[in-house]
Amino acid sequence: MEGRVPKTLEDRIRTLIVETLNLEDIKPEDIGLDEALFGDGLGLDSIDALEIGVEIQKIFGVKIDTQDENLSSYFSSVRALAEFVGQRQEPQEQAS
Amino acid sequence: MSIQICAILPTYKHVDELERIITRLRALKLDVIVVDDGNTQDVAGELFQICSRFEGVDLVRREQNGGKGAAVIEGMRRAVQLGFSHALQVDSDGQHDLASVTDMLALARQFPDALVTGKPFFDDSVPRGRLIGRWITHIWVSINTLSPRIIDTMCGFRVYPLAASLAASEGALMSKRMGFDTEIVVRLRWRGVDVKTLPVNVTYPVGNYSNFKLSENVGVSAMHARLFLGMLWRSPYLIWTRLQATDDTSTHWAKLGERGGALGLWILAGAFRLFGRHVSLALMTPVVLFFFLTGKTQRRASRDFLERLWRAGGLVTRPGWFMSFRHFMSFGAAALDKFAAWTGNIPAEDVDGVEPSVFDVVHSSGKGAFVLTAHLGNPEVIRAISTLKKRARVNVLVHTAHAVRFNALIQAYSAGSTVRMIEVTEVGPDTAIILQAAIADGEIVVIVGDRIPVSGTSRVCWANFFGSPAPFAQGPHILASILKCPVYLLFCVRFGARHKIFFEHFSDRINLPRKDREAAIQIYVERYAARLEHFVRLAPLQWFNFFDYWRPEGLEAPFEQAQSNSKSEMAS
Repeated sequence: MEGRVPKTLEDRIRTLIVETLNLEDIKPEDIGLDEALFGDGLGLDSIDALEIGVEIQKIFGVKIDTQDENLSSYFSSVRALAEFVGQRQEPQEQAS
Repeated sequence: MSIQICAILPTYKHVDELERIITRLRALKLDVIVVDDGNTQDVAGELFQICSRFEGVDLVRREQNGGKGAAVIEGMRRAVQLGFSHALQVDSDGQHDLASVTDMLALARQFPDALVTGKPFFDDSVPRGRLIGRWITHIWVSINTLSPRIIDTMCGFRVYPLAASLAASEGALMSKRMGFDTEIVVRLRWRGVDVKTLPVNVTYPVGNYSNFKLSENVGVSAMHARLFLGMLWRSPYLIWTRLQATDDTSTHWAKLGERGGALGLWILAGAFRLFGRHVSLALMTPVVLFFFLTGKTQRRASRDFLERLWRAGGLVTRPGWFMSFRHFMSFGAAALDKFAAWTGNIPAEDVDGVEPSVFDVVHSSGKGAFVLTAHLGNPEVIRAISTLKKRARVNVLVHTAHAVRFNALIQAYSAGSTVRMIEVTEVGPDTAIILQAAIADGEIVVIVGDRIPVSGTSRVCWANFFGSPAPFAQGPHILASILKCPVYLLFCVRFGARHKIFFEHFSDRINLPRKDREAAIQIYVERYAARLEHFVRLAPLQWFNFFDYWRPEGLEAPFEQAQSNSKSEMAS
């Protein structure tokens, strides 16, 4: 797809993942929105998760609480991560 | 059970404040027993006058002055006759802040079996000499109750459970005078009576004078000696009750807690400032002996460590119990050094290997560094010396809150310290960001690499350590990889009267490639373990991990048959 100018939150997150982790053989658009980031899917591990968390917190200003029990679900896929970031960024616009 | 409390006012010479005190106590609907402790006829007459102005005030007259202890006991007997179960003792010289009475009574009602005692906050009116005396008493009480817990035993503002108190003083050669306040607490503790403390204000009234005489210092010393013998006699029982109280089954270091850690440090701090290192060490010996005798888990861990060290050729003779005791003593001495370092009592001339200092190297590199250390010797010495001198900012990552308590001590004695302790149980994005920023500012991040994580023992690598695999945390190495900065090893051990700092380069940057991550971590952990073993061999008794290091609770060893072969193990 035309992923040259990242626009959507999902796109920005995909780019962030590839750049942060130096995923040489993977392009941002190769990561499916619902593809599992960890384990069987993209095969990331908890160290990657920490690095992604650091970047997300820096770039989007979203605080990530390691004690949050739902943390692994937020990080399950690009779509979930985008949803999580979107919610935390503008909490007033979201009902939940 | 409902308890009946009255107030006892032992009175000798102090009558100026008496009327005010009685008025306050009566306002709280307390019956009052005033004990006239053999005052002169004039004072006795005055006492009688004051007491007869109130209802609910009973006056007991002792013909001879017997001292505070005798007076209080007399008052207690009277209270029991009148049907009371508890008695509030108030000094009649007005030094106790009666605003606390209500709280003390409430605490006594909540814990009817305990002794409730005020724990004084002194205002500036207290004579300085008495504060030093207090320290000495604290240390003695701690020894004589075989407990690291400091109870302020000199505050005569308390609520006694009458039956237990009279039983404790019965037949004992009690101090009749000022030593009474201390002695009764020790004796109640011996009987297993709990002590609850409540902070109270204590003022030395201007017009009034305290009946404390210098000659009584001799009496007080005799009392401590007497109690010491009493303690020795009772020590099997006291140790037994303490063993019952401490659950000795947990072996993860984080759960072991620091037995008496904070208070022990405070005692040492005081003793060190007053008497210096040698006396402090001597004072500490019985306390260390106590911990040695009661700390089964720690003692076993020490034996296990020394035995492994010996088998690995690190000791010339096979270690026995005495070596373990020396191991414990060395830990106590290290605590002293910690304190000495922070208060600037270790001159830089007594430390070898300061140059090139890690701080110089890091400084000239223009960016921060990650420093791995261990519970070996005294890394505090380095931190203290370097930070006090160079004002470099150091961030120390600690696993539990106990170092935070040590922080309080440091702050109290050396303000302006540039060390920040960061408590981390788990490194999350939050911590990583803070640390990245610190490194970018040229700060140093220090972490110990020889303890496994508190929560979740999955992030562990097994590496050969003194001949058999031991678990090491992956966390510090992972964190270093995320911080993308140079990594150094830093240890400081004591040889005789001198400290020596060892500082060496570990890695320009820890790199954990995604494809072979586990294997890469394993390599770093093994290198760390090997260097650590090297330094532990230099000063084995300064290895301060008093828990089952090779087989910690809740962690399966990768393969048990590995004990005898010395090749390093890969993580499963």
